[in-house]
Amino acid sequence: MESIVDIRHALEARSVTTSLDSLKNKGRDRVRVIRAEQIAEMIAEAVQRAVAGSGLMTQEEVDRLIHESRREFQTVLAQRQKESAEARAALEEIDGVRAELEAAQARVRELEAELAQGGSGAANDPAQGRLIQTLMAEVAQLKASMSQPQVVVATQPVQAQAQDGNLAAAIAKLAGTLEERIDKIGRKVGVSSAVEADAVDYSRIFAKGDDKKMESNLDTMQVQQKSAGGIAGNLAKLKKLKGGS
Amino acid sequence: MHDTNENLEARRSAPTGAQATSNKNQTDVALGKGLDVGTANLAAAVTNEDGSVTVNVERNAFLDINSDVYSKNMLTKLKVPYVVHNNKLVVIGEAAFELANVFGKEVRRPMADGLISPNETDALPMMRLIISKILGEPRQQGESCYFCVPAPSIDVDNNVVYHEGLFQSLIAKMGYNARSINEAHAVIFSELAEQDFTGIGLSFGGGMVNACVAYKSIPCLSFSVARGGDWIDKNVAHVLGTKKSKATFLKERGVDIRDPKNREEEAIAIYYRNLISYVLQNIKARFEGGQNMPSFQDPVDIACAGGTSLVGGFIEVFRDEFSKIDFPIPVGRIFRAEDALISVAKGCLVAAAIGE
Repeated sequence: MESIVDIRHALEARSVTTSLDSLKNKGRDRVRVIRAEQIAEMIAEAVQRAVAGSGLMTQEEVDRLIHESRREFQTVLAQRQKESAEARAALEEIDGVRAELEAAQARVRELEAELAQGGSGAANDPAQGRLIQTLMAEVAQLKASMSQPQVVVATQPVQAQAQDGNLAAAIAKLAGTLEERIDKIGRKVGVSSAVEADAVDYSRIFAKGDDKKMESNLDTMQVQQKSAGGIAGNLAKLKKLKGGS
Repeated sequence: MHDTNENLEARRSAPTGAQATSNKNQTDVALGKGLDVGTANLAAAVTNEDGSVTVNVERNAFLDINSDVYSKNMLTKLKVPYVVHNNKLVVIGEAAFELANVFGKEVRRPMADGLISPNETDALPMMRLIISKILGEPRQQGESCYFCVPAPSIDVDNNVVYHEGLFQSLIAKMGYNARSINEAHAVIFSELAEQDFTGIGLSFGGGMVNACVAYKSIPCLSFSVARGGDWIDKNVAHVLGTKKSKATFLKERGVDIRDPKNREEEAIAIYYRNLISYVLQNIKARFEGGQNMPSFQDPVDIACAGGTSLVGGFIEVFRDEFSKIDFPIPVGRIFRAEDALISVAKGCLVAAAIGE
């Protein structure tokens, strides 16, 4: 089929169009016509005869070559169709990831609001501190779940990745931004390190017997005392810097 | 650091800060205390009713002697503080330093190079006794207490995290809400208020020199070098063939490093100048090599504090060494804190009061 199209293009390129009246004026009342398919058959036959006549290939080999060429064509065609289907699946997957990311971002915004409300008193209130720990853990889970689809995207065929590289980069950037914001919130409320590891309990270093009173005369001991100017000026400056009155 | 006999006597007869405030009406007193956990000295600052600040200071050292009835009685008569620990009489604080020099012994030091000493098994119980004495009990449960911690050193590998956690736990166990603050940052809180807490704070301590660069009270760069007064003492003792305690005594008795009078003072002056030069070169290198460093349009001040800066001629030698280097940022005034020994404790108190 392709050879016929090519022959048709070749004929069109190498022929001129003229009207019947023009031919009649030139004294030609009758013309012979031939279809492109017939020309293609003639060329194919001529090529086969030429190959067979050259003695380089037998007719059997020529037939086998044609058969293998057709089979190769079918294989390549099937592969292209499969890749096309995979690319469509990858696009659907990315759409799913994007939806998941948007849902996670919405949840993070909610958690930020909750942390902003509870963060300032966390240092003094153990219950609030635990609540913030829980919230931070939830944010960390979200972060982890967001990184999971990225792995899925990364395992897609190379062709699909190349096709959707920009989108994957955008998702990675969004995830990175989110991670920075999570860390910032953690630092603000002073529990950032606790998200990844429990604080070390140094009180265990002090042995149980350390609390018992040792024999001493320290109750009568006096220490060197120094007087210093007040710190009211320093505090006023600091409050001013912080925007207070 | 430069005590006279009168000072020592006055110290022994004065009440502790906790005792001094315990009988007063405490409702008007700003809560919060500051604690300088220094290698050589421990200092606790508290605000009085009248707004003034009192700082209790004690040397961070102890000395054990054989426990017998005679020694115990003598120590009590001389008003020398002691505890009985592991069947030994342990003299703590300044008295331990004085006794060590009298008997030609070395004091035991709970801290080394700015951190809790890994080689001193009795470090924690002794430090707890001293801290408890100078800090007193909290005026109300959970009163805020800011204590200083060094920045990680650039010249040795040290574990600041363990040190910080340890003292956080120790102070919390005394009933305080313990929070830490960088030592040199505390100097900025104490000394650079007029400059809107912008500039360079340096704390020349016994075990380390801490540096902090701050802009509008926010620290931009903090680091330490593991050399300080002890480094000077160690080297002076080495070249003079004497004990470290003796070298410390020589250093603290009133040397002017601009005008050394004898071989001993010469040695002290040499190592002081070397320490100052070392610190300045490292600050310069950090400024030149650091990323995200602030660029100051106006000259910034440098405030020096810490017991090691108390030696005569310190700030003049500092300025002299500073003039020899091409410092990367414009610097205005270079000065020593009015009372360099208590500057860090006072800065910690500011932090506690503001809740920084």
